[in-house]
Amino acid sequence: MDLYAQNILDRYKTPFFKDKKIKADLKRHEANHSCGDAIDISLVTSGGKVADYSFTGAGCAISMAAADMMGDLVKGMTEDEILKLTKDDIYKMLGIEISMRRSKCALLGLITLQNAILAEQKKPLRTWGDYDL
Amino acid sequence: MDYRQDFPIFKSRPDLIYLDSAATSQKPQVVLDLMDEFYKKRNSNVHRGTYPLSEEATEAYENARKTVSSFINAKHSHEVIFTRNATESVNLVARAYGDAFLNKGDEVLLTKMEHHSNIVPWLQLKDRKGIVLKYLDVSKDGRLIFDSKLITAKTKIVSVTAMSNVLGTIPDLKPIIAAARAVGAKVLVDACQSVVHMKTDVQELDADFLVFSGHKLYAPTGIGVLYAKADILNQMPPFLGGGDMIHEVFLDHFIADELPAKFEAGTPHIAGAIGLKAAIDYVNKIGFPTIQKIENELTEYTLSQLKTLPYVQIVGPKDMVARGSVVSFVINGIHPHDIAEGFATKNICIRAGQHCAQPLMDYFEIPATARISLAIYNTKEEIDTAVTTLKEVYKYFNP
Repeated sequence: MDLYAQNILDRYKTPFFKDKKIKADLKRHEANHSCGDAIDISLVTSGGKVADYSFTGAGCAISMAAADMMGDLVKGMTEDEILKLTKDDIYKMLGIEISMRRSKCALLGLITLQNAILAEQKKPLRTWGDYDL
Repeated sequence: MDYRQDFPIFKSRPDLIYLDSAATSQKPQVVLDLMDEFYKKRNSNVHRGTYPLSEEATEAYENARKTVSSFINAKHSHEVIFTRNATESVNLVARAYGDAFLNKGDEVLLTKMEHHSNIVPWLQLKDRKGIVLKYLDVSKDGRLIFDSKLITAKTKIVSVTAMSNVLGTIPDLKPIIAAARAVGAKVLVDACQSVVHMKTDVQELDADFLVFSGHKLYAPTGIGVLYAKADILNQMPPFLGGGDMIHEVFLDHFIADELPAKFEAGTPHIAGAIGLKAAIDYVNKIGFPTIQKIENELTEYTLSQLKTLPYVQIVGPKDMVARGSVVSFVINGIHPHDIAEGFATKNICIRAGQHCAQPLMDYFEIPATARISLAIYNTKEEIDTAVTTLKEVYKYFNP
């Protein structure tokens, strides 16, 4: 059986950023209740940029691998740069075809991260309707 | 007898292994034919046309009501209200009965194994009226625990499933209904899952309300049923207002029509009702003894095969006592979505997620389950393929 690309499976089974202890100054919880995926993202910011990233959660391989790979993507980014990230950026990062039924799995990390920032900026939060699924 | 050949989807997709009938069943040719015939030969609106064609449509629609009525052994066919689905039926009761007859502090008793459709309408009633919701517990092996102390003088409605869509459990409703009767509470039975697997008899059950959707019963989507005792329906105010549900309309008031029109505002899903009639005729022709024999054999086989895999935990009853053909399971370390994705590579359709039962998932402290649900068109060979696939999924994540 060949279910997911090797990079997805690797990051799911051996994540870099999962359960990493950091002194977060930004935190956010989001969940996909229909599928039972839940994620908590923590960020350390310094000089307006993401200095460190960590997440905890339970979910399918795609949701967990995406949340983990996002750590590499967003470290060093400004809040504005993170808010500009789109569905396509995440799909490109994953490097695999994402079907409609798995789109929320792939993007759960992104919506959590962006809402962490938007909540802190006291701006309206994103919903799935903002991601053109 | 091979019932599979009655379902055209398996002709257009010969490799399809459909193990998700608890979500929606496939549709037999006879259902599609009767609906098709209606649109081609008898299409017109019901209850209004002053011409023979409309009379034919009305007759077909009302005939469908009679078929449903005898299928569930209602006393009168006007006790059968056509809705969109079971969800709408529960909402109708919570809105029309709940708003009119329940007050602050009154109690509604549910169970922790209810589908969201039998929880959220009551939560909405709680928001509107300040009622109190209580829940019967579920045991770790997925059985309903009937604690009669939860039925009190304040209990006004007991609303309970006849078969869990996650666990497959078939609770014993008789003592619950008897206890509700003793305090004068009304009883709603959610027969959405059970109606296709076993005989439903509203008079024997002594249910005040009973709801189900057509689409899990080999009928089309968009047609559902609310059964309620006539005297209760007569006391209730109407639910939706509009055409067809009125007797007279003035500029400042209206008089509602009599049953069942009172609760069927607007043009109904006529072809859907006709499709439901065809589906019930189909089920009756096979008969519940045969249906149960097929489904019990398949369920028992599924359970026994899953039990050979030490890493699979069945969520729900592990034996065949009072259970239907729904089998939920989890594997430690593999999310149900990943299991379902593995199945999808082999053309196998299973459901993965919370199955609209988040409180039940929270109770079992699991994020989700994978679910196999079986119907008369399934085969042991399909279960063998599913179990082989499950082993491959496990090996993929645990090489």
